[in-house]
Amino acid sequence: MKNILLVVAIGLLFPLLAFSQTGKEIVTKMNDNAYGGKLYSAMKMTIVRPKWTRSMTLKSWSDGQDYSLILITGPAREKGITYLKRKREMWNFQPSISRTIKMPPSMMSQSWMGSDFKNDDLVRQSSIVDDYSHQLVGKETIEGLECYKVELIPNPEAPVVWGKVILWIDTQNHIQLKAEQYDEDIELVQTMLGQNIKKMDGRTLATKQTLIPADKKGHQTVMEYTEMDFGTAITDSFFSTQNMKRVR
Amino acid sequence: MILKIAWRNIWRNRRRTLITAASIFFAVFFSIFATSMNRGIFDKMIDDSVQSYMGYIQLHQKGYWEDRILDNAFEYRNELQVQLQKPESVKAVVPRLESMAMASFGKQTKNVAVTGISPDAENQLTKLKSRLVAGQYLDANEQAILIGEGLAKKLKVSLGDSVILLSQGYRGVNAAQIYPIKGILSFGKPELSAAMVYLPLQTAQYYYGADRLVTSLVIDIEHRKEAPKVIQSLAHTIDTTNTYELLAWQQLIPDIMELKSTKEASNSVVIFILYFIVGFGIFGTILMMTKERTYEFGVLLSIGMKRQQLAFSVWIESLLLGIIGAIIGIIIAYALTYYLMINPIVMQGDMAEAYIKFGMDPIMPASTDLDIFWTQALIVLSITTLLALYPCITIWRMKPVEAMRA
Repeated sequence: MKNILLVVAIGLLFPLLAFSQTGKEIVTKMNDNAYGGKLYSAMKMTIVRPKWTRSMTLKSWSDGQDYSLILITGPAREKGITYLKRKREMWNFQPSISRTIKMPPSMMSQSWMGSDFKNDDLVRQSSIVDDYSHQLVGKETIEGLECYKVELIPNPEAPVVWGKVILWIDTQNHIQLKAEQYDEDIELVQTMLGQNIKKMDGRTLATKQTLIPADKKGHQTVMEYTEMDFGTAITDSFFSTQNMKRVR
Repeated sequence: MILKIAWRNIWRNRRRTLITAASIFFAVFFSIFATSMNRGIFDKMIDDSVQSYMGYIQLHQKGYWEDRILDNAFEYRNELQVQLQKPESVKAVVPRLESMAMASFGKQTKNVAVTGISPDAENQLTKLKSRLVAGQYLDANEQAILIGEGLAKKLKVSLGDSVILLSQGYRGVNAAQIYPIKGILSFGKPELSAAMVYLPLQTAQYYYGADRLVTSLVIDIEHRKEAPKVIQSLAHTIDTTNTYELLAWQQLIPDIMELKSTKEASNSVVIFILYFIVGFGIFGTILMMTKERTYEFGVLLSIGMKRQQLAFSVWIESLLLGIIGAIIGIIIAYALTYYLMINPIVMQGDMAEAYIKFGMDPIMPASTDLDIFWTQALIVLSITTLLALYPCITIWRMKPVEAMRA
């Protein structure tokens, strides 16, 4: 009798376990889809301000979350500037003075290339998978797509600047459609929107990322991917300070 | 006739008159001297600060002074230059592009204030060339910088070394260049000496990606007293409601102006107390004089002198005392302050060093502005006029018979 009950109970619970995912699984899938492996991409960054906008083009190579190299390809004035990230460190190469500068902590909170991104955002040392506890709080629809709404609270010792992060991840392709980042007082700092969902080099991704700071009206920074290659053959030595000067 | 009587009366008791006049003299002299020294020192401080950098009038894009960032720069058009030079007392219009940067040499990095200047015009305004302690002055358009002595020391650079300047330019563009040091400047103020970097305007405009832009125009005028007039006449031709802001020197150096008004307030408290004491002294003399002469007043009234004539003559007496004291005070104070204006007190030792550190000459000049003198004279006259009402009232109420018995 007892066994029968147990079988029935398991039988009833099993479908729930099989078809629902935990918050952590959802975030892991999203992360692997967007950032996993080696990636080469070309993008256009547009800085939007109340009175003006400015665009630049860049190329980026990355290997997971630990290594990345960014090369500015336009406009002419800024062409050839590179940024290298190796784990927690960041370097900047300026062709006009042919110097490589290791960026000091004091510069980390400054704006990156005049955009709404901070240097900090590029070296973000924390992992969205390992440094947070994830909780699936519901489902919401964004622009016609059903999303998981996942709330991320940083782990006590994690090197995280946010007090809380809320992610909206599309249920079909695990694409991050929206992210809200809050400070320690749980006040909204910035919103990230993922739009223009397209298949690029075999993966379905949001090819337009918009960063909107909460406290500055009319300010935003838009990143649009124009090229992506997930099979790029880059070795570890690619992410070196020597290569910063050579890369084209 | 009454004046003559009054004049004779005050010299009847010579000692009393001299004591009263002396106390009035002392009050007038001291307050003129204190005010004049204070005014002179602050005028010099203002002139120093205005002439060494700020200028008496500045024009910016509206909102720049509140938020001094490069994005608030504006295009310096020819029409604007023509308009600004219209008022007669405008000597020159000096353009500047001001922002911040990080200067780096070897392992040293410092935050610096970068100013793009038009070398000749700037030299005429602030005599920048005379601050050179090494090297040469800038030529328009060249790729070179002048830096403060303190900065050179901190970066451990000397003439001919090349310094990297890193910054963010107009609308966030990247700004990174390397410039050779052409000259080293000495500034009195250590905060200027450790932070100032000058480069030619066009070089700065290229560096910051701010082609043809400036952050401020210094409008040089003949004398600071003309600033309000010039601003007023410029405001007719220049849009100051939406596009530009015109600031006078008072707004450009709010810290000094605040210090000045604090010092003036504390000075006027001291002067008030001084006059209060002197006022009682004068009142004492007048009171004594009234009591002493009660019999005399009674006699005069009973032999038919009119009350208002008598009261007037006594009032004039007190007034004369005040005038004598004030005139002597003014003459001596004027002579002394005039001497000190031409030969200012030169400070010695620690005090002098402290002054030099703050970028001031270690001298204390006096001011001979006329308003200081007539203000003090007016105060003394009003005090004595007021106090002299006491014997008048006494005379008015006096019963001659009782007065003669007293």
